[in-house]
Amino acid sequence: MLQARGLQLGGVPELWNLEKPEEITAIHRAYVEAGADAVYSNTFGANRLKMARTGHTVQELIPAAIQNARNSGAKYVALDIGPIGHMLEPTGTLPFEEAYDIFREEIEAGKDADLIVFETMSDLLEVRAGLLAARDAAPEKPVFVTMSFEENGRTFTGCSISSMALTLEGLGADAIGVNCSLGPEELVPIVEELCKWTTLPVIVKPNAGLPDPVTNAYNFTPEKFGVCMQKFVKLGAVILGGCCGTTPGHIRAVREMLQTQTVVERHPVIPAAVCSANQTVIIDQPRIIGERINPTGKKRFKQALIEHDIDYILGQAIQQIDAGADILDVNVGLPDIDETEMMVSAVKAIQGITDTPLQLDTTDAKALEAGLRIYNGKPIVNSVNGEEESMQKVLPLVRKYGAAVVGLTLDKNGIPKTADGRFEIAKRILDRALSLGIRREDVFIDCLTLTASAEQAGVMETLKAVSRVKNELGLRTVLGVSNISFGLPSRELVTRNFLTMALYAGLDLPIINPNTESMTSAVRTYKLLANIDKNAVDFIAHYGAETTPAPAAKPASSGMTLGAAISAGLRSEAAALTKSMLADTEAMVIVNEHLIPALDAAGAEFEKGKIFLPQLISAASAAQGAFEEIKTYLSEHSDGTVNRGTIVLATVKGDIHDIGKNIVKILLENYGYQVIDLGKDVPYEDVVKATEQYHAPLVGLSALMTTTLPSMEGTIKLLRERCPWCQTVVGGAVLTPDYAEKIGADYYAKDAKETVDIAKRVFQN
Amino acid sequence: MISLSSVDRAQAFRYMGHRGDPDAQMLKTADFCEKRLLAASRPRYVYLVTPLRFTDAGVICEGTALTLTGHDIAAHLQGCSRVILLCATLSAGADTAIRMASAEDVLAGMMTDAMASALTEQLCDAAEEEILANFAGFYATWRFSPGYGDLPLETQGDFLRTLNAEKRLGVTLSPGGLCIPTKTVTAIIGLSDKPVPKGKRGCAVCNLRTTCPYRAKGAHCK
Repeated sequence: MLQARGLQLGGVPELWNLEKPEEITAIHRAYVEAGADAVYSNTFGANRLKMARTGHTVQELIPAAIQNARNSGAKYVALDIGPIGHMLEPTGTLPFEEAYDIFREEIEAGKDADLIVFETMSDLLEVRAGLLAARDAAPEKPVFVTMSFEENGRTFTGCSISSMALTLEGLGADAIGVNCSLGPEELVPIVEELCKWTTLPVIVKPNAGLPDPVTNAYNFTPEKFGVCMQKFVKLGAVILGGCCGTTPGHIRAVREMLQTQTVVERHPVIPAAVCSANQTVIIDQPRIIGERINPTGKKRFKQALIEHDIDYILGQAIQQIDAGADILDVNVGLPDIDETEMMVSAVKAIQGITDTPLQLDTTDAKALEAGLRIYNGKPIVNSVNGEEESMQKVLPLVRKYGAAVVGLTLDKNGIPKTADGRFEIAKRILDRALSLGIRREDVFIDCLTLTASAEQAGVMETLKAVSRVKNELGLRTVLGVSNISFGLPSRELVTRNFLTMALYAGLDLPIINPNTESMTSAVRTYKLLANIDKNAVDFIAHYGAETTPAPAAKPASSGMTLGAAISAGLRSEAAALTKSMLADTEAMVIVNEHLIPALDAAGAEFEKGKIFLPQLISAASAAQGAFEEIKTYLSEHSDGTVNRGTIVLATVKGDIHDIGKNIVKILLENYGYQVIDLGKDVPYEDVVKATEQYHAPLVGLSALMTTTLPSMEGTIKLLRERCPWCQTVVGGAVLTPDYAEKIGADYYAKDAKETVDIAKRVFQN
Repeated sequence: MISLSSVDRAQAFRYMGHRGDPDAQMLKTADFCEKRLLAASRPRYVYLVTPLRFTDAGVICEGTALTLTGHDIAAHLQGCSRVILLCATLSAGADTAIRMASAEDVLAGMMTDAMASALTEQLCDAAEEEILANFAGFYATWRFSPGYGDLPLETQGDFLRTLNAEKRLGVTLSPGGLCIPTKTVTAIIGLSDKPVPKGKRGCAVCNLRTTCPYRAKGAHCK
């Protein structure tokens, strides 16, 4: 419509609110006259980032747009909000809280609208920021959200229909649906799926068919559009409209069609489920919650938390997912660290690499809320218990953020000895949750495993409680099982059998170490025997190839030396060899006499051009495997760590390429340096803060774009002012030694190998 | 839409600075990375064809708000009557695959990144072929991108808005002016009814010019 009136492709439609208000009102009016009940204001891109280049503010543009819409005589005027136009972290660089502020500013500027609409959204995390802003800034106003799906049922960022529905209904949207991207015919299966996943009113705003690839003209006439839209009425959608290519004629056709239709009532039954943006896990069968992201009793994990070693946590996440975890528990609490900050960092980082849903495990309400705020999807909260204080603290957060929650059957009197006692607490937690508006399907009960060695009689009470909670209250059950065997010999045997018993008693969510094959296989076997894994498809997929019992893992045999394993890039062999060497060799001897010489040799070959970067990295990766074993050993057996000096590393502000920096990091770590990795797109101030905090003698900065070199210069300048003790080394494809000198760097490194040489010089080791 | 069933491994290995035949260990990593990258990527593109008008202020893409400035793009489009504006992306899934691989293993991270770059080039080639099928009888220039020569990288914003790439493709710009998802290419292809000089596609106009390990050593890939 705007283009027909002269707006250029790539022009800024929002400016017309000020420049040509009568044109905008005329367009709104044409739709009102065609029978539209509500019109969306011309504010799709009216956020502060997109409007920055226009010279006009959000506060000028949005009120004008609302007034233009109001002047059309529409029954309802909706404040229309589109995507911000910058991707949020971790895909992009926009922080969640900034997105929240941007949306909040739009919502406050549009206070005269009757309702708020987010449309054409692709990133669920961005929608969450918007919805939270709307709930906070305009709690009384209805909020509609529509996202844009492709034919595969995913948005551009991969968000699935079920994840959208579970997350947004939980967060308190008033109506949800789809708009744009496809025509009415292609949207039918998508709307059908959406109707299964939400009890909210469903919105459908398709394009006028599909665009012609050359002319971009849409191919549906108003008549055809009107006919097709009937399908959505039959599916139960109650708010209909049009997106790209739909004219007042199309809307008139819909209005006329509606006069012949009656509303179809929907009664969807939404299953118990949790999700990330891209993956929904339905709790309709036992699902494994991986327990390894937890410092309790793990010195190596504690050390990682203290050193803010997020990569270590990511490693734990990947290992468990590969082993078969469906959900990951995340517990990053430790005295002396900022748990709130760590929870946010860990959740962001884990969600940046995997779609597996998470269970946020903390007793700190502040850390819990911070995690819930930035979690992309619908998580589980672990946990609440039957104490009044706990319920008052935790359940409102669960409700606000639309999470599921684990209820522990204990209260101020401790854990009841009997199944009946635990059942009563479960009931108390459920009643309170229901009274706050939390769905029954979102309450999972943990009947608590006691150790068989100390309270043998309690074992069957736990299982009885599981059965009762499952059958009488109809709730899903959770149980951490490992505790059962504490203090007994053959722990694995005891735990595995208890796990099977618990599954039979009705356990849905075993919290286990999925890396222990006997646990994961017990769950898979149970699913086979309980006729859940139909035709044993999953079981055969995992164990079908085993014709003979798997041979016990050989202790990296075949006479290979650690040096040879490293130069061949054999990571697991290098790790296994190191582990066996640690039995009779000092850790530092392994580092100094085996690891480093092997890396030096690889580095020399690389410099001579005998091997290439991939082989050097391959060797570094193998050395990393060896080093991880040493770190674990040292954290378990002494307080010592290998630290030849602390180096802060960062990819500079504005730059998001970090592959090169990661290579440098790994090589430095292999040589025994402690690397504080600040990641990519790092603000100057953060580099300075870390350098101050660790009093780091050396800071490495990387930049891959010519456009981000000024950031490098800026960072160095600030370091010179605030951290005069530190030296800087810079690298990256576009840098030259001359340029490095010009921007005041102490050293230029042409590659990762040279960075190590420079570190050796700076630390004189 | 285009489906890409394999990665041009020779190209990916070149991007990584590897020469000669990769060994078994390297190939094993490559298999793993390729499988996951292909599963995570969703290659797609959008384009627009506009008439051109050459002015002192730059080359104007008629009917759009886009003006292409600088000598290099004017020379590139010399003799062309129309232009194809193309944006192609592997989508956000490819970035996630790179992040996941990097978290697992530094070699896998580097290899997935290089493979994704190769795959993006493959996507552009395939897209160009599909588009040019609609323009039989025309001659096409090679693909020129914002940031090449003296065509400012800042053109990227107008370019993406003109294509409505955010809405149609999910491509946005970071505040630093980089395309997100990162494995995205914007390209300008001139169309002429007379043969156009092919010109040389050297390092200055290569999409990998900022990250190329050959270039870092002052060498060339081929």
